[in-house]
Amino acid sequence: MIVRRDTTIARLLTLFVVMLVSRIACGHQQDDYHAVLDFTPPAPGTYQLHRIMPAPEGSVLDADGNARKLSHFLRSKITLLGFIYTTCTDPEGCPLAYRVFDGLKKEIQATPALHDRVRFVTLSFDPARDSPEVMKQYAGSRIKEDRGLRWYFLTTRSVRDLLPLVEGFGQDIRYSVDKSTGRPVRELSHVLKVFLIDRSGSIREIYTSTFLHSQVVMNDIKTLLMEQGAKLP
Amino acid sequence: MIRFNRAMFYAAFVCAGAVSLDVPQAYGDETCNSPYVTKLIKGQEDYVYVWALGVEGLGDGSDKMVTVDVNPRSKNYGKAIQRVSVGSRGEAHHMGFTDDRRFLWAGGLENSRIHVFDIATDPGRPRLVNTITNLAEKTGYVGPHTYYALPGRMLVQALSNTRDKGGVTGMALYNNKGDFITSYAMPVDNGGDGYGYDLAVNPRKNMLLTSSFTGYNNYMRSLGEVVKDPEAMKRFGNTMLLWDLKAMKPQKVFSVPGAPLEIRWSLKPGDNWAVAATALTSKIWLVKQDAKGEWQAKDVATIGDPTKIPLPVDISITRDGRGLWVNTFMDGKTRYFDLSNPEAPKQTYEKQTGKQVNMISQSWDGKRVYITSSLLANWDKGGADNEQFLRGFTWNGKELKQVFEVDFTAEKLGRAHHMKLGSKALRTAYTRPETSRQLALNR
Repeated sequence: MIVRRDTTIARLLTLFVVMLVSRIACGHQQDDYHAVLDFTPPAPGTYQLHRIMPAPEGSVLDADGNARKLSHFLRSKITLLGFIYTTCTDPEGCPLAYRVFDGLKKEIQATPALHDRVRFVTLSFDPARDSPEVMKQYAGSRIKEDRGLRWYFLTTRSVRDLLPLVEGFGQDIRYSVDKSTGRPVRELSHVLKVFLIDRSGSIREIYTSTFLHSQVVMNDIKTLLMEQGAKLP
Repeated sequence: MIRFNRAMFYAAFVCAGAVSLDVPQAYGDETCNSPYVTKLIKGQEDYVYVWALGVEGLGDGSDKMVTVDVNPRSKNYGKAIQRVSVGSRGEAHHMGFTDDRRFLWAGGLENSRIHVFDIATDPGRPRLVNTITNLAEKTGYVGPHTYYALPGRMLVQALSNTRDKGGVTGMALYNNKGDFITSYAMPVDNGGDGYGYDLAVNPRKNMLLTSSFTGYNNYMRSLGEVVKDPEAMKRFGNTMLLWDLKAMKPQKVFSVPGAPLEIRWSLKPGDNWAVAATALTSKIWLVKQDAKGEWQAKDVATIGDPTKIPLPVDISITRDGRGLWVNTFMDGKTRYFDLSNPEAPKQTYEKQTGKQVNMISQSWDGKRVYITSSLLANWDKGGADNEQFLRGFTWNGKELKQVFEVDFTAEKLGRAHHMKLGSKALRTAYTRPETSRQLALNR
């Protein structure tokens, strides 16, 4: 469909007005299988993480409101990136991702060999509600640099800026479904996905809630570091 | 590359409501899907997508995706409401959803093309948005059979190879945009025969199970000729393999004689076992850990009279892992096995559901069962026995009752093969137009 410029602008204006007073549901589509680790994952460096696809480029805002290219946050270190809404409460969505991110953060901070080699990026799906100020407040103490791990909380200026990022990562967004009728309702939802990105900006692993285990992610991070020749304990 | 229809995306955001309802639940599905695939259907399905083989002289002769309305409340109930021809005939066979269930990948065993249909923009009107044609070039494998969703990517099991068109083959990994990532050979050492057929993942155990069928030289030849050719009959798979999913490394080879085909893990939480049926030996095999924790495969039941080669083809496990439907192609029967004790399945019901039957799918609640007729173009029966249909049944726990039929020959649709269920509720918030980049790359 070709969207005329004037039509697009009108839609964007409408969008922002409505989103100011609306609520976007954080409806992560859960997997039937919960994230219970019932196996010993293969040891770091004993397997290969293939290049799934390049991470997309786009414009983002950091928590201080500075405009940046997303690639600024995806290069020269290993990056773990996840999409969120600050209004999210689904236990299998953002909270699950936070549990994993927080666990990994502690382990990285406790391992000097991993310092300054990994970063976390949390990127909002909801530019109308999640301003840089909101993201900074949402991040709390997580945003402070300490012991070798930076955690960036990013948002976008507009849906127009968000769109190529969502598109490029292959992140779905759907209408939610009213459980009683099975019909779509006026809310959005998405599948939780976390992306592991290497130093050159290639996506090397994608985790949905079923596959999001901190031990597995840590082994994957170490596998990428070992690929670069790192000697790890 | 996936491109959003921006107007729809904006509109979707604009429509975000002011009142937050409960977030959607994890829905179950026709139980042959990967258990962790998202947005599954627990309620009444609206559509059955049927991937149909083209028949020369019938309609346009091309393979096609046929959408059948199966909601009893619809005025079109039991009717084919849409057909999408792919413009070629290449032995349409199986299909699989991407992990986000926005796209349905459907392949041809002869031409090795993989057609990607958008089923999320309008679930009632699938659209062909991409055709992947580089499988053989990238991997040396042909005959894409099973499409198994992994996060952001699709694992494709092939049946054959370009070198000798035999059964030694492998798997190909693509990202959801259709870009080739890598391939994995089926092992030919440590007891492996190199053959492939189905894939089934148990994510809680980091396990992938694979099974084994036969190569292009056999599946593209008439079944009558193959059966009479002792050398050809030697060229069927006799193994199942256990893989470390994360590392994609084979861990153990099981000897499972007679072409083990479809694999189903029990979907009951806490269960960690799978079953498969062997086509030539007519057995149900169980893959399960023994008392020492070692994974084993063992023959646990017989399907019909193996001396008559009823040819078990598709199976469908109930959501609680307590029942298994088995279709046998040659006698046209649909059998139900009580799996309460998976170590000793017992047949409790059978009915002739066609002159030839192949695929079987059930709704999540088990109350509706769908059956199609075609196995392979050169293996289907001839004359009046060559019925081609989708038949819908209800199941009350005692009796299968046919409630509709779509005659694929009368409607010039072709040979009805694989099925997937669809729902109006799975409409995405954005769409994807025809993808020119992949088409250009692959051609």
